[in-house]
Amino acid sequence: MSGIAAIGIDAGSTTCKLVAVDPDGAIMSSVLEPTEPRVELQVQRMLDAIRAKQGADSSVPTIATGYGRKLIKEATRNLTEITCHARGVFRDLGRAGTLIDIGGQDSKVIQIGPDGRPIDFMMNDKCAAGTGRFLEYTAARLGVSVPELGARALCTAREEPISSTCTVFAESEIISLIARGAEPDAILRGLHRSLVGRVVSMARSVGVVAPLMLSGGVAKNEAVRKMIAEATVEEVVLPGEPQLMGAYGAALLGIS
Amino acid sequence: MPIHYPRAMLRAHRLHPMELWGPPHVERHEGSRHFQAYTCDIVVKAMSFIRSGGLGASKAILVPHTCDALQGMGSVLGDFLDPDQRVLTLYLPRGRRGSDHEFLQSELRRLATTLVEVSGYEPSRADWDEAFEAEDAADRALADLYQRRDRLAISDRDFYTVVRSREYLTAEQFCQQAAALPEGDPPERGVGLMISGIVAEPALFDQIEAMGAHIAGDDLACGFRRVYSVSAQADPFERAAYRLLTSPADPTCGTPIQARVETLEARMRALGARGLLIYDPKFCEPELFDVPLLRKHLGACGFPVLHVEFEMGDRLPHQTLSRIEAFVETLS
Ligand code: SF4
Repeated sequence: MSGIAAIGIDAGSTTCKLVAVDPDGAIMSSVLEPTEPRVELQVQRMLDAIRAKQGADSSVPTIATGYGRKLIKEATRNLTEITCHARGVFRDLGRAGTLIDIGGQDSKVIQIGPDGRPIDFMMNDKCAAGTGRFLEYTAARLGVSVPELGARALCTAREEPISSTCTVFAESEIISLIARGAEPDAILRGLHRSLVGRVVSMARSVGVVAPLMLSGGVAKNEAVRKMIAEATVEEVVLPGEPQLMGAYGAALLGIS
Repeated sequence: MPIHYPRAMLRAHRLHPMELWGPPHVERHEGSRHFQAYTCDIVVKAMSFIRSGGLGASKAILVPHTCDALQGMGSVLGDFLDPDQRVLTLYLPRGRRGSDHEFLQSELRRLATTLVEVSGYEPSRADWDEAFEAEDAADRALADLYQRRDRLAISDRDFYTVVRSREYLTAEQFCQQAAALPEGDPPERGVGLMISGIVAEPALFDQIEAMGAHIAGDDLACGFRRVYSVSAQADPFERAAYRLLTSPADPTCGTPIQARVETLEARMRALGARGLLIYDPKFCEPELFDVPLLRKHLGACGFPVLHVEFEMGDRLPHQTLSRIEAFVETLS
């Protein structure tokens, strides 16, 4: 007999995550893969695997969130990332406050109330400024891989200011900085500062209520965490698995 | 052009208005040559439409001074572009004091003189009376539609299709259409939202319904803000001015923010709306000024506010829909 009470799916633009929880909301199993072009087929394969591993069948409630949530035919229900991230992080950290979720293709700031429900939120609109894609795309110009980004930005005290938050304009700035012989790590530091500036201004327009919590893939980047703490003069806390919080929250909502 | 103008006066002069709110599926190129890049779609697309000959046999273009963008449009059309139609302007006061009534009456008298030149027709007393009677009946029918909303067995999309048909139908056609709507239980409705802004395209209502919500009431310039009070002053200019200056709260008419907040709060409570969705065309200055204060004051009364800007005619982007959907979830 399976102990799984619900499965959460976060079909994101960059990565696809599945989390299975027991009736108490503890994570029993999770998977994370880069998103494939046919996300609905990918999720089906991942679902089959997690069900087979846990001995579960299709009657287990399955909640989908993320960019591709509406493509997931097997989902009992679909909910936005706002609701799911808020629920996942609230359960993991047990605190109300302000959640900054920086994903691959969008970022959001969510004020979480004392019951774990979102009270107010803001999302970046239509462009890649303030998202993981901004760092990924511009860092590719410098030949630096994503996992190295944060450490490289922190290993220098020099910083080349990047005035644009727009990915395309920032790339032009980087090209001219390289042409002028600027140090790549100093450019990276400037890029992080630019992303953080954008995200912090979103947080301020929602209203920062401490503590600041981070989720999404970019939360793993230590330079982003450090610069957000510096800019807001607030404590920044992280859940155990920041990238899984959307899928985890979806699974928790499946139980309730 | 939107928003407020004296319908009975046009009818008395044997003119029929067709309103231009965009139109949504016209490109900006042609119109954008004449405006700054930060001018709203309502103005730029209307200009494209006019410049590409869309007005056909129309005799005149009436551009009320709703906002700076429309005032600019009136000047560009009248002073530089010389379209086939006569360009008429109407300066609307930004207050509702006695002096504003007097100013508007004199503006309407000025407009009437021009309407005689455009139509070649000088209305008689009987023409004025007939025109007011017909347009007042249509204004009452619109107010009655809002009163009956909960008893109409139609979707929000269908409801607003009828509300907005006032933009092109005659008063009689509109009354007939409104009277023919089927009574009964409305479809399953979900969380109630109040929607504010200038104009909302039909696709938005379908999306909101699919998210498990419904429009409990509106504060749209193309909707409730044109539920006028009718009156019976003997002087036609006084009567027309009264109608325009007693319209519901509207930032384009200079309604103070406190009065807007109070009206919205009272209506939201009465209609069972749980949050306010402000849905504005990009760059709509009069609306944007009020947004932070609406957020602050309505938020303090327990009504969350979501502000969304859109470009007319575009399919609503995924991000925008996600924001509205998340807003609905926070209210559920
Ligand atoms: S949308 Fe706003 S700025 Fe544009 S015409 Fe209407 S009121 Fe003026």
